[in-house]
Amino acid sequence: MTLTTRRSVTKAAPARHRPRRKDRAVEALWGYAFIAPVGLGLAVFYLWPVLQTAYFSFTEWGAFGGHTWTGLENYLRLAVDPEMGRALVNTLTYTVLGLLAIPLAIVFAALLNTKGLRGVGVYRTMFFLPVVTMPVAIAMVWRWLYNGDYGLINQVLSLVGIDGPNWIADPATALPALVVVGIWSSVGYNLIIFLAGMQAIPKEYYEAAAIDGAGPVRQFFKVTLPLLSPTAFFVSVVSVIGSLQLFDLVYVMSGSGSSARSNPAFPRLETVVQLFYERAFVTNDRGYAAAIVMALLMLIIALTAFQFRLQRRWVHYG
Amino acid sequence: MRKSARLGAAVFGVVLAVSACSAGGDEPAATAGQEKVTLSYAMWDNNQKPVMEELGKAFTAAHPNITVNVQLTPWEGYWTKLKAAATGGAAPDVFWMNGPNFQLYASNGVIRPLEEEITKDKVDLSVYPKPLIDLYTFDGKHFGLPKDMDTIGVWYNKSLFDAKKVPYPADDWTWSDFNEAAAKLSDPAKGVYGTAAQLTSFQEYQYNTIDQAGGFVISPDGKKSGYDNPQTIEGLRFWTDLIKNKQSPDLKTMTDTFPLQLFEAGKIAMYWGGSWNVSEFAKNDYTKDKVDVAPLPKGQKQATIIHGVANVVSAKTGHPAQAWEFVKFLGSKQAADILGKKGPIPAYNGTQSAWVAAHPEFKLQTFLDAVAYAAPFPVSKNTAAWNEAELTYLTKAWTGEEPVEKAAAELATAMNALLAKE
Amino acid sequence: MAEAPTTGGRRLGLHAVLVAASLAMVAPFAWQIITSLKTLSEATKVPPSVLPSGHWENYGEVFGLLPFGDQFLNTVLMAAGRTVGQVLLCSMAAYAFARLRFPGKRLLFGLFLSVLMVPPQLFIIPQYQIMSSLGWLNSLQALIVPGLFSAFGVFLLRQFFLGLPRELEEAARLDGAGPLRIYWSIMLPLARPGLVALGVLVLLWSWNDLFWPLVVNTDPEQMTLSAGLTALQGQFQTNYPVLMAGSLLASLPVIAVFVFLQRQFIQGIAHTGIKG
Repeated sequence: MTLTTRRSVTKAAPARHRPRRKDRAVEALWGYAFIAPVGLGLAVFYLWPVLQTAYFSFTEWGAFGGHTWTGLENYLRLAVDPEMGRALVNTLTYTVLGLLAIPLAIVFAALLNTKGLRGVGVYRTMFFLPVVTMPVAIAMVWRWLYNGDYGLINQVLSLVGIDGPNWIADPATALPALVVVGIWSSVGYNLIIFLAGMQAIPKEYYEAAAIDGAGPVRQFFKVTLPLLSPTAFFVSVVSVIGSLQLFDLVYVMSGSGSSARSNPAFPRLETVVQLFYERAFVTNDRGYAAAIVMALLMLIIALTAFQFRLQRRWVHYG
Repeated sequence: MRKSARLGAAVFGVVLAVSACSAGGDEPAATAGQEKVTLSYAMWDNNQKPVMEELGKAFTAAHPNITVNVQLTPWEGYWTKLKAAATGGAAPDVFWMNGPNFQLYASNGVIRPLEEEITKDKVDLSVYPKPLIDLYTFDGKHFGLPKDMDTIGVWYNKSLFDAKKVPYPADDWTWSDFNEAAAKLSDPAKGVYGTAAQLTSFQEYQYNTIDQAGGFVISPDGKKSGYDNPQTIEGLRFWTDLIKNKQSPDLKTMTDTFPLQLFEAGKIAMYWGGSWNVSEFAKNDYTKDKVDVAPLPKGQKQATIIHGVANVVSAKTGHPAQAWEFVKFLGSKQAADILGKKGPIPAYNGTQSAWVAAHPEFKLQTFLDAVAYAAPFPVSKNTAAWNEAELTYLTKAWTGEEPVEKAAAELATAMNALLAKE
Repeated sequence: MAEAPTTGGRRLGLHAVLVAASLAMVAPFAWQIITSLKTLSEATKVPPSVLPSGHWENYGEVFGLLPFGDQFLNTVLMAAGRTVGQVLLCSMAAYAFARLRFPGKRLLFGLFLSVLMVPPQLFIIPQYQIMSSLGWLNSLQALIVPGLFSAFGVFLLRQFFLGLPRELEEAARLDGAGPLRIYWSIMLPLARPGLVALGVLVLLWSWNDLFWPLVVNTDPEQMTLSAGLTALQGQFQTNYPVLMAGSLLASLPVIAVFVFLQRQFIQGIAHTGIKG
C-alpha cells in the first residue's frame, strides 16, 4: 500500500510528457470549448446579476428600480449596524457547529456501504427520506419536539424531573436546537455524495489492505478516508458556503414567517442572508441589501480561498 | 409587452422580436372600444379564485369584448412576484392591493390614479366605509375601489366561560370588564389563560387597543410616530399587563404554540381575531359549537381596526379604459352581491346580509356593527419598514426585559428615523 | 468497500445504530403520512395526536384543487431537462477544469465558484427580468433554462475527475485519442457514480424547487407540483392534510427513482479493473 505516502497533487502529475506548442494550443481551445456552455449560462443568468448588485450596493436603490449614487454610504452604515454584527456572529456559529454534519455523514455512508449487510438498501432509502419530506412537515415535527409545554423532548425530560426550556424560543438553546435540525436535514444530501465518492475507490485498495490484515475499522481509516478526501473537500466547501447562506431553516423554524422577529431568541438566530432578504424584499432598502450581500460574498470568498489553501494538507487526488 | 418591452427587445436582439408578441402585443388603448381585449387580474387567495372567475364571467357578459384572466399567486410569493413584474413594467392590468403596500405602489407610480374616471363616471364613494376609501387615497387622489373588508372582534370560548361561571361578554363591555373576565378565566396551572396577548398581529391586537386608549400609531400626515404618546403606550400596556398577570401565556409559549392553535385547543378563553376567522372556526371540530364573537371592549372609546383589499390598475396597463371598467364593475353592487355569498365581507354597504346569514351559529352582525366606529389601518409610504421595527422593539416589552414605555420610546425614535427617509 | 463485520455482536450493534438513526430520519416523513390522513382540526390539535385517522378523501381533494396531471408533467419535464442538461454541461466543464490545461483556468474556475457563493435569493428579480425580456414568462423554458447552469455541478464533478486514476487516459492519449473522445469514452464511464449523484441531487432540487416556478410562471397549467401546492397555503389558513397528501403524491416518483438508482451507488466503477 502506497497510500500512506502522500500522493502528488494534480498539478505536479502531468509533467510526464512535454507536449508541443501546437498541442498545447489545441488543448487550450478544447478547454475553452468544454467550459463555454456552462460559462456563458453562468455569465448571463448569474454573474451579470451579481455585477449589477455590486453596482447598486453603492446606490440608494428604489423598490421598483431607479437609483441614486451614494458612494460608500451603505457600507459605512453596514460597518456600524449592530444587527449586522449579531447576524454575522450567529452565521459564523451556525457554520462552525454545522461542520459536525460532515464526519457524521461519512460514518453513516461507510456503514451504509457495508457489503453483505442485510437490509442495507432499506436503510439507505430511509436515510434518503428527509430530502423528499415536505419542509412544512419537517418544521411541524421539529417544532413539536422542541415545544416547551407539549414537546416530546420535555416530556421525556420531565420523567427524570427536569423542567426543559422552550427550546426554540429561549435565547440560550435556540441556536444549537436549530443547528441540530440543520445537520439532520443535510445528512441525506451528503450521504448521496459520499456514497458516490466511495464507489470511485478501486476495490483493489481494500483487497490489498485486507491482505495486510486490516479490519473494517482500519480499512476505513487507511483506505476510505484518504481516498474520499476529494469528495470530503467538496462537501466541506459546499457546506461552509451553505451555512453562511443560511436562511430557510430560521425562517420556517423560529416562527411563522414574518413573525420570526417576535421570537424572543431572534437576536441569537438571525442570519446575514435573513437580514439581506428582509432589506431587499420586505423593507425596500435594496441598496443596503446589496451592500449586505456583497459583504457576505467577500467573506465567503475569503473562507473558501482559505479552504483551498488548506486542502494541500489533507486532500489526496488520484 | 408594449413600448418598454419592445425597447428591451431591440436591445436584446432578434430572438425577442418574435417572443415579445406572445407577451401581449396589443394596440394602445386609444383605439380601444371594439377590439377584443384580455385583462390579467392578479390575486392571492386560492379560496376566492372561483368567485373571482365568476365575477370575470359576469363582467364579460356585460362587456363581450373584454375577457378576464384571473391569475392566482399564493400569498407566499405574491408581493415578490408583483414587485419583480412591476419593476419590469409588466405588472398585471388589474390586481389586489392591501393597505400596508398601497402607498409604496402609489408613490412609485406603479398604480394608476383613478380620480378622473371616478369623477367622470360619477362613482359614489360613500357606499364604502370611509376608512377604506381613505386607506387607498394618496396625495389626495383615489387609486382603487374597495373590494372587501374585515373588522376585529373577541372570539370567546363559551364552555370555558360556563365552567368558571363567567357571564358572556356584553355588547357594551369595557377594558375593566375584559380584564376581570380574563382574571377569572385564567388557570395557569392547567395551562388555561383568559386571553393571549399576541405580539405578531398588530391588526388584531395593538392597533385596536392603541385607538381605544385614544393614542395613535402614526400622525395623520404620515410623518411622525405615535409610539411615544402616553395614550398609545397605555394601549400597549393593556397587553403587557395581561402577560405580567399571567392572564396570557408568555411570549415564549406563544412562539412555541401560536395563540390561534391554543384557542382551538381550548387553552385560551378569549381570542382577538378577524372576521376572516369565521370559516376556520366554523369548520374546526372543537370550535364549531363552542365559540361565539363579541365586540372589542371599550377603552377611552370604542374602536376596531378596519382593513380591506382594493382593486387597483397598473400604471403601465395597455388597456386603462377597460381596466377601469372592470374595477368599476368589481366595486359595484352586482359584484358585491356575488362576492358576499362565497367570499369575505363585501365592502359595498348593504350587501353584507348574505355573509352574515351564512353562519347563523355566530353573531356575525358584530363585525358589521363595528364598522360604525372603525378606525383606519395605519400606513405610510414604506409601512413594512416600521412594521419590522414594531416587532424588533416591542419584543423586549413583551418578554418583560424592558418596561413598555422604554421599548415604545425606542420604537418611536426608530420609526421616526424610518419615516424621515420615506 | 468494507466487508461486513463478521462477529454477530458487532453486526447486531451496527443494526442497532442504523435502526435508531433511520427512525430519526423517517419520523417527519411518517408524520407527513399521518397528517395527510387527518381532518384539518385533527392536524392542528394541541398537543398533537400521533394516532392515524382514515381520511383518504384528502388525496382525492388534491386532484380537485390542482391540475395535478399538467403540473406533474411540467415537473417531470423541468426536472428531466435540468438533470440531463446539467449532468452533460457540468461534466464537460468539470473535465476541462480537472484535466485540460489552458491559460486563465484558475481564474475562470474561481469565477464559476463565486456563483455558488452568492445567496440564491439575490437572483430572483434579475432572472425574472431576463425571462421577461426574453418573452419567456409562463413557459417551460423559463422553468428549465436558468437551472441548466450550475457551479455546484461543475465543482462536484471536477472533484470526481480529479480523484480518478490517470492510467486509462494516458493510454488512450498515446493511442491518439483527443480530449472529446477521452471525455466521452473514458472519463464519463469512470465517473458514473459522480454523474448519478449529481443527477439525483439536481432531480431532487428541481422537484422541490418552489419559489422560482411560482414567480416566473402564472397559469396553474404552467406550474410545477411543489409550486402549485403552495396555493393550498393561504394567508390566514392552511389546509395541512390536503397539502401533505399532495406533497406525498408528488414525492413518490422521486422516491421510486432513488430506490431504483441507489444500486448505482453500490455498483460503481470499482470493478472495471483499474490498477491502484
